[in-house]
Amino acid sequence: MRRRNNARVLEALGVRVAKLRGVDLIRESWISIAGNPGRSLVTALGTVLGAAAFVSTLGLSSTLGRQVSAEFDVYRATEVVVRAEDAQVSREWQESEKLGVLRSLNGVQAAGARVSLFERRVQRTAALGGDTASARIVGADPEALKVIQPRLTTGRLPDQFHEETAAKVALLPKTIADKLGVQRTGVAVFVDDQAYSVIGIFDEVERSPEAMISLLVPFRVAEELSFGISADQVDREVLIETAPGAAQYIGRQAPLALHPQSPESLRAIAPPDPMTLRRSVEGNVTKLSLLLSIVALAIGTVSIGNAASASIAARTSEIGLRRAVGARPVHVFAQLLGETTVLGLAGGLAGAFLGATVTVGASLWNGWQPVIDLKQAVLATAVGAAAGLIAGLIPALKAMRIEPVAALQR
Amino acid sequence: MSATACLQLKDVERVYDDGHPIHALRPTDLDIFAGDYVTITGASGSGKSTLLNILGLLDRPTAGSYQFGGIDIAAAGEKVRGAVRGQKFGFVFQSYHLVLRRSALENVELGMLYGPHRARRRRDVAAEALERIGLSHRMHADPRQMSGGERQRIAIARAIATRPSVLFCDEPTGNLDSQNTANVLDVLQELHRDGLTVVVVTHDAHVASVGTRRLSVTDGRVREEQR
Ligand SMILES: Nc1ncnc2c1ncn2[C@@H]1O[C@H](COP(=O)(O)OP(=O)(O)O)[C@@H](O)[C@H]1O
Ligand SMILES: [Mg+2]
Repeated sequence: MRRRNNARVLEALGVRVAKLRGVDLIRESWISIAGNPGRSLVTALGTVLGAAAFVSTLGLSSTLGRQVSAEFDVYRATEVVVRAEDAQVSREWQESEKLGVLRSLNGVQAAGARVSLFERRVQRTAALGGDTASARIVGADPEALKVIQPRLTTGRLPDQFHEETAAKVALLPKTIADKLGVQRTGVAVFVDDQAYSVIGIFDEVERSPEAMISLLVPFRVAEELSFGISADQVDREVLIETAPGAAQYIGRQAPLALHPQSPESLRAIAPPDPMTLRRSVEGNVTKLSLLLSIVALAIGTVSIGNAASASIAARTSEIGLRRAVGARPVHVFAQLLGETTVLGLAGGLAGAFLGATVTVGASLWNGWQPVIDLKQAVLATAVGAAAGLIAGLIPALKAMRIEPVAALQR
Repeated sequence: MSATACLQLKDVERVYDDGHPIHALRPTDLDIFAGDYVTITGASGSGKSTLLNILGLLDRPTAGSYQFGGIDIAAAGEKVRGAVRGQKFGFVFQSYHLVLRRSALENVELGMLYGPHRARRRRDVAAEALERIGLSHRMHADPRQMSGGERQRIAIARAIATRPSVLFCDEPTGNLDSQNTANVLDVLQELHRDGLTVVVVTHDAHVASVGTRRLSVTDGRVREEQR
């Protein structure tokens, strides 16, 4: 009724209801903001910082996450070591039949037995004197050697024949070979008057770095030596190389395969899953980042709201004038809200840029590959705009209640 | 329109009531016709601005009826009153009320922001209005770098850009020296000659003498002075 009446009155008076187009609203807001850059900057600073904190912490955490998985030792990540929980466990679990079961598991590339004995003096000659070095005597079957993957500088690895015949052959790490003056294969080294023929020298291993200070002999050779020693001075292990990503699974399955009667008496040591590791790094940083960003955005919202409220007093005359030239209260409301929203948006955008710059800068500095998620930047900008919108509500409500008479009589 | 009144107040009253009532405007009958140049004088606090604000729809009377173009708009809603204010009336105030950090042209454009024109058209019309009051050359200047007279003429350009039927001025020369006062009066007279209805509140006798009709206000009572 009122509406139709209004329409008739408006027509009779030859006027149209005042309106404010969307483009004009945005333009007005922009002019107000750009016209007073100092005020705008201070007002939006909180949002800038909030958005920057959000984007940079998330960006850095993704960057770090990727870095963690990239640097994650791919070899270590495919190595599982199984040990007995205590020395009393019978050594049956290292037998070839059990190893066969283990090897048949999907994801096992190689699996072999290793037994590590005492540290002994290794000599070049049986007689006293001459060059000596100290090394741990370690027996490893050909499969265990596959897992260890010694890089030979000369010679060859012991094979199944050496294993089965318990041949007295040895692999020497280069450091020990140098100490003993061994340069080639075929020469003998002595441990407790027992001669071992050197069949290979290696300078590096892919897994089990402790092999670098060991004299590697066939498993069975070391096994025979172990009979004379108390069980708690002997370390028995099964070394497994798994397919990439299978380490965790094999770690759970191996005790069952090797010792079906009581798998709990064995302990498998598998590397942490790189994905889990990465998620845990990212998860921690993300929580922190969100907390930080929420605090900063809350401060941003309050600072926009405060500055907008404070500026209302200075803008009373302008608001009165807008009313005098026809603006309805809702137009005043919309404009102030538009200004704080644009400020929040601009602050969020600037913050997102700043955050991305920080991420890229920190990554380049550390030689990492920066990871920036566009979605996060867009989200930060949107949240900035929302903060501006919320911050503008109270000042905009105040401003729309300003009476033109009071505003203009100054 | 000259036969019937353009603006018609009947028993219009404005009482401020905070604690004890102040009768800023006592019951008043007043007809203003299209083409009038009305000046309103009176002592400070006598009620001149109150009368002008009610006429200009910036304030509502506490009693009485107000007809504009034969339609009662005293009790009309803000939509109607705002539309009339914006499109039929123009306002000039003592302290200019120019928006800082906006050029002369932008300030004039602001007067049309809530009207029917789009931005391009508003710009053209604003430029014409500035030309009309002889300030084309100051179009892009910052009002802070201008004299009071120039600022007031920009305010006039803003008020007339919408082609209103009535121009309301509250102490338009209150802050101006005699030279600038003369300039502003020239502009007002020219606009009046072109058909604009002008209502000017002033306490300057010289400014008042220019009008075709003279009203004086004493303690909220309006009296027409015969020439
Ligand atoms: N908002 C207001 N509240 C209370 N009294 C007011 C208000 N505005 C004006 N008045 C009073 O109304 C009277 C007329 O004021 P005004 O019209 O501004 O006078 P003039 O413009 O002639 O100087 C004065 O006594 C003034 O104090
Ligand atoms: Mg006054």
